Amino acid sequence: MSVSPFQGVTHACFALSYLCALLLEIARVLWPARGWRVASLLFGAGGIVAHTAYLLYNQPPPAAPYGSLLLLAWVLALFYIYGTVHHAKQAWAVFVLPVVLGLVGLSLVWVMTAPETTSWSATEWTAAHRIWGAIHGVMLLLGAVGVSVSFLASVMYLMQARRLRKKVLPDSVVPILSLERLETMNRRALNVAFPLLTAGLFLGSLLLPEAYRLEGHWLSLKILSTAGLWLVFLLLVYLRYAVHVPPRRLAWLSILAFGLLLLALLASHPFAVGGTA
Amino acid sequence: MNLRAIGCNVESATVELREKLAFDSVKTQKALAELNARYAAEAVILGTCNRVELYVARQETVAPLHAPLIAEFLSEVHGLPAQEIAPHLYEHADAAAARHLFRVASGLDSVVLGESQIAGQVKEAFEFAQKANATGPLLNTLFPAALRVSKRVRSETGIAQGHVSVSSAAVDFVRQVFDTFTDKTILVIGAGKMGRLTLNHLAELKPAAVLVTNRNSARAEQSARKCNGRVIAWEQLDDALVQADIVLSTTGAPEPIVSRRRFEDKVRRRRAGRTLLIFDMAVPRDFDPEIHDGDTVNLFNVDDLTRVADQRMAERRRHIPAAEAIIEAEVAKFVADWNRRANGPVIGQLTAEVDKLREAILGPLLVKLNGKLTDPEKAFIEQAFRLFQNRLLHGPIAALQEASHEGHGSLRDALRKLFGLK
Repeated sequence: MSVSPFQGVTHACFALSYLCALLLEIARVLWPARGWRVASLLFGAGGIVAHTAYLLYNQPPPAAPYGSLLLLAWVLALFYIYGTVHHAKQAWAVFVLPVVLGLVGLSLVWVMTAPETTSWSATEWTAAHRIWGAIHGVMLLLGAVGVSVSFLASVMYLMQARRLRKKVLPDSVVPILSLERLETMNRRALNVAFPLLTAGLFLGSLLLPEAYRLEGHWLSLKILSTAGLWLVFLLLVYLRYAVHVPPRRLAWLSILAFGLLLLALLASHPFAVGGTA
Repeated sequence: MNLRAIGCNVESATVELREKLAFDSVKTQKALAELNARYAAEAVILGTCNRVELYVARQETVAPLHAPLIAEFLSEVHGLPAQEIAPHLYEHADAAAARHLFRVASGLDSVVLGESQIAGQVKEAFEFAQKANATGPLLNTLFPAALRVSKRVRSETGIAQGHVSVSSAAVDFVRQVFDTFTDKTILVIGAGKMGRLTLNHLAELKPAAVLVTNRNSARAEQSARKCNGRVIAWEQLDDALVQADIVLSTTGAPEPIVSRRRFEDKVRRRRAGRTLLIFDMAVPRDFDPEIHDGDTVNLFNVDDLTRVADQRMAERRRHIPAAEAIIEAEVAKFVADWNRRANGPVIGQLTAEVDKLREAILGPLLVKLNGKLTDPEKAFIEQAFRLFQNRLLHGPIAALQEASHEGHGSLRDALRKLFGLK
């Protein structure tokens, strides 16, 4: 029997690589010198390779909190590499990598504490339901990426705005993008995430009663937090485009939306447990 | 090495004297030719608003040019009494001269620490002298090295980081807020000098439009012409504030022209949440400081910008030791390289002299022994003499190389004297 080379890859491999990349980035900010950036990028890239190998070998189901957290962390890790290469002078990794590490950590905590009886697959689904279920999952995952990007842009925005409010010397601490750039990033993330979330949730709301006839799940924490997330995004769209609320308030709402996303990701998915419920 | 850096700067001479000693291109050309013809010296003349310096190099075998002689020379060129010039001149010799030039080119000797303009001025002075055929092997090595050191100091330390003038510090804040400038509008209120200076810096960002308003319409027209701006009537100030992204205010008004109430009632609501950056450069201030909310409206006054400029300067000062360390290492490297280069001809001459001496002794000896020796025996004797010569010269040559590594050329002079070399 052949043994896959990916079999030995664990959470620790990519989590430690990301952690090393983060520490090197912090060192770069505190003591600017040539080698830090390259070393950090090498660790970051190594982490992504290990992360990808882990996902390919273990194939955690995206509908389960464990899988969705790991997948989201993987997409954000790619976002970290893109940002670090694209915005070389900014302390991009200092903001993105803690979120990646947090998601990996949460997935680990979840898998260690999850009840053993949980089934990962909805075995009673028809082929058509599986396809629509996959589309629903992909839309929500991409929507979640948008929510996460919006969260990161908002955190950086609030930090930059705080510096300006206090009239602190520009670039004396962690270098961040301009307010305008961060605001644009936040707006684009919102523009992408809202339609995806809306379509994904709409599809989910059609699939749930069709596939399982589980009326009780409408009141599950997963559904409620996801609906709450969508409502916050609806509010964000309204405040941004109709009322022209100051960007600082929108940033706080985006952070709240990310909190709801985490809650939704951590809550057990009716599709995941539905087959055996 | 026979190198001297002789001149005066803001610390050693008054602006009046520096003005009198200033070189235009004609005078520079003439002075370089004269230094070359009269003293067989390589020369570069560096003249900026803060310094007038002559870098002169001569053959090692002749006496160096000292400050009193250069004072005489400058008195001839500028028609001033030498006594008026001499007390204000400083002189740096050899390694110290190289160190001085490296510091000057790196902006460590500038009034505004780390300023970058000086590197360009050093380059221009060198290129001018090169074109005038006034440079030679030493200055052709020294000046490119100085420019390389300047680049290294600026890239490896924070000595040139950020803007250190009050007017340019505004640019740093603008960059923290805005990302693109080609769609931004700058509004200039009043015609104060500080506003003009700040506008010069902001204009480099290539904004979409510059609006100018002033109580005095003639002065507004005049200001608008200077910055390719459009005049807005004073009565339309509120409309202009709604339209603007960046405001520069420098009126001489005795009290704020834009109160918080006026701003809230007539400007803020109409801006629809767009970000506004206000630089209030006027004293007394033109804008009520309460307008600043750190979100959509950011207001900075002269004190804020002065504080930032001072912090930047303090930040630059923190990098002086690192910059000096780079310069020190580069001076040591330059002197060692130059001495190694200068050793070549001396070693060549020394070997040739001893070769001649060996042949002068060995030739007659072999003639005297002619017929008594076989060819292998002759070859053996010749080899023995060569070996003796090599062993004899090994010590002095090794010591010479060692001395050049340590950065002094006195042993080279001693060897010249001991072996009668030219």
